Amino acid sequence: MDTYLQAEALAKRFDGVAAVDGISFVIRTKEIFGLLGPNGAGKTTTIRMLSTILAPDAGDVRIGGHSVIHERDEVRKRIGVCPQELALYPELSAFDNLVFFGRMTGLSGRAAKARARAVLAEVGLEDRGGETVKKYSGGMKRRVNIAIALMNRPELLFLDEPTVGIDPQSRNKIFETVLGLRDEGTTVLYTTHYMEEADRLCDRIGIMDRGRIIAVGTPAELKRQVGDPARTTLEEVFLRLTGRKLRD
Amino acid sequence: MGRAFHLARLELKRYFADRADLAFGIALPIVLFAVMTGALGENAGFRATMHVADLDGGPLAHRILGQVNDSESISVRRYTRDELADALRRTAILTGFVIPPGFSASIESGIPASIVVEQRGSGGDEGQIVVGVVREAARKAVSAIELRRAIGVLAGDSAGDERVDEVVQQLLTEAHHHPSVEVVTDPMHVPEASELDRLLAGIVVMFLLFSATLSARALIAERRSGTLERLVTTQLSPGELFIGKFLGGVGRAMVQSFLLLGLAFAVLGVAGPLAFAQCLILALVVAATVTSVGLVVAALARTDEQAAFSAVLVTMIMSVFGGTFFPTAGAGWLEVLSRFSLNTYAVDAFMGLFSGTGRLADQELELAVLGGVAITGLVIARTMFRVSSSPLQS
Repeated sequence: MDTYLQAEALAKRFDGVAAVDGISFVIRTKEIFGLLGPNGAGKTTTIRMLSTILAPDAGDVRIGGHSVIHERDEVRKRIGVCPQELALYPELSAFDNLVFFGRMTGLSGRAAKARARAVLAEVGLEDRGGETVKKYSGGMKRRVNIAIALMNRPELLFLDEPTVGIDPQSRNKIFETVLGLRDEGTTVLYTTHYMEEADRLCDRIGIMDRGRIIAVGTPAELKRQVGDPARTTLEEVFLRLTGRKLRD
Repeated sequence: MGRAFHLARLELKRYFADRADLAFGIALPIVLFAVMTGALGENAGFRATMHVADLDGGPLAHRILGQVNDSESISVRRYTRDELADALRRTAILTGFVIPPGFSASIESGIPASIVVEQRGSGGDEGQIVVGVVREAARKAVSAIELRRAIGVLAGDSAGDERVDEVVQQLLTEAHHHPSVEVVTDPMHVPEASELDRLLAGIVVMFLLFSATLSARALIAERRSGTLERLVTTQLSPGELFIGKFLGGVGRAMVQSFLLLGLAFAVLGVAGPLAFAQCLILALVVAATVTSVGLVVAALARTDEQAAFSAVLVTMIMSVFGGTFFPTAGAGWLEVLSRFSLNTYAVDAFMGLFSGTGRLADQELELAVLGGVAITGLVIARTMFRVSSSPLQS
């Protein structure tokens, strides 16, 4: 498999404290890469640097062969970002949200509308797209949040805890969507606190703690590090590697 | 720049979708308009009342009160001595007059007597004007008595009372028709800016500023929810994002202005279509100014609460010192402070256009100040504009 994203010695400090401490890793084309870690491990800071929101203090990242520091616009054409928060306009309809964000990615009005209809169908909201988002359930809002990130047909999709606080049906729909995207050729970076979710979805997983990546591998490889893969859960691996001490 | 316009259009769409925003920015000022018009529409000129306890009840007191009551703008309201004292104590009135017992008889006998003015503090502008009118009415009434007495002394016993009365009457009539000194009014034949014009202008500007500064909360909410961060991961640059937000704010303020000014012109019949067109141009400058102030608030505030507090503080200070509710010209230190309020310049300019006493081209100072505030605000806001609580690459 080709490398789609390559991070080299990536670092970021806030008020003298290293949030991300010189990490290097790769994400291969068309894989779902899970980034796991306890609260404060540096996952969100890493995603913000990878997605061009935050400038690294050191190191660089190449996405599809383009530097996030020197070729930001090229990188932005290739990525879709779904943040943890519901980053959308709740007083507008899902359709209007999608069309607007589509226009912001450079789509024409007609193309944005067509793409919005397709994306709404992809996340199972084709019949409810005209309703204002504030009337939606939590799961529907999460799906719109993801749908916005799909408007520009990204080659690399960042999904930062996309299933927080939603019902099993919506979660299952999101899983189907993510797996479908991978099958169609999209590379996905996925963060979550739900270990069984990562185990089910991710081709490979990186575990972060205190700003460093402390383990990388397939779920089976990680389990093998601590015991019999058939009898070990990913949660056991996670706790063994990061410890049981509370972080916040 | 196309993306900035799309963002501005989105801001307008969000404005129309938010009923609370519409109610606050448009419905509330319309209600205030209606109340102000009801209160001031038919009584825009000066009106005052002489509050008096007439303990004398004699012919001279009667004549003085009659003269005051006959004036166009002052009416007489009678009290007992206790009622007058009570009204002053309760601050129901600021100035009261007491005509003491035996007042008329004393004057008729040539003994000086006084009308006593009781007032709280300076008695207010209205009270001071009424005192002047009463003093003039008393002087006039007493002058006839003094004239009769003087002629009687000069003529001695040779002239009968009837003859003296006749001469006095002739002299008074002559003086009335051909006074030695006359104050002549030479009015300029231009419409006058009324108190209602001031209030309408003040309310429009106050609500434009309030809405613009309060919209800072929405920008902070977008920053907190990650919407702004998400926007800069698209093809939208932070500069386009800033311009889009500015244009959106100006658009919102113009929608508000169009509706409020349109209502003022259509319903209240102030000025004409040309003045309306000039008002809209002025509104565009004011919209740019208040939007830039709103963006400064959004740039400086870190939380919703800070933004709301700043919006209320800025709007109240600017409105109170900006002549929204009362004129500040000639008000000493208040007039000095008013020069630092952008509302002063906006209200003055709007007021002139409302009343038809001014043209937009004459409002050079006002336009220069408003434009200067808009540009300065934009520079500050752009310098401090953040899409995230963390430092970002621009």
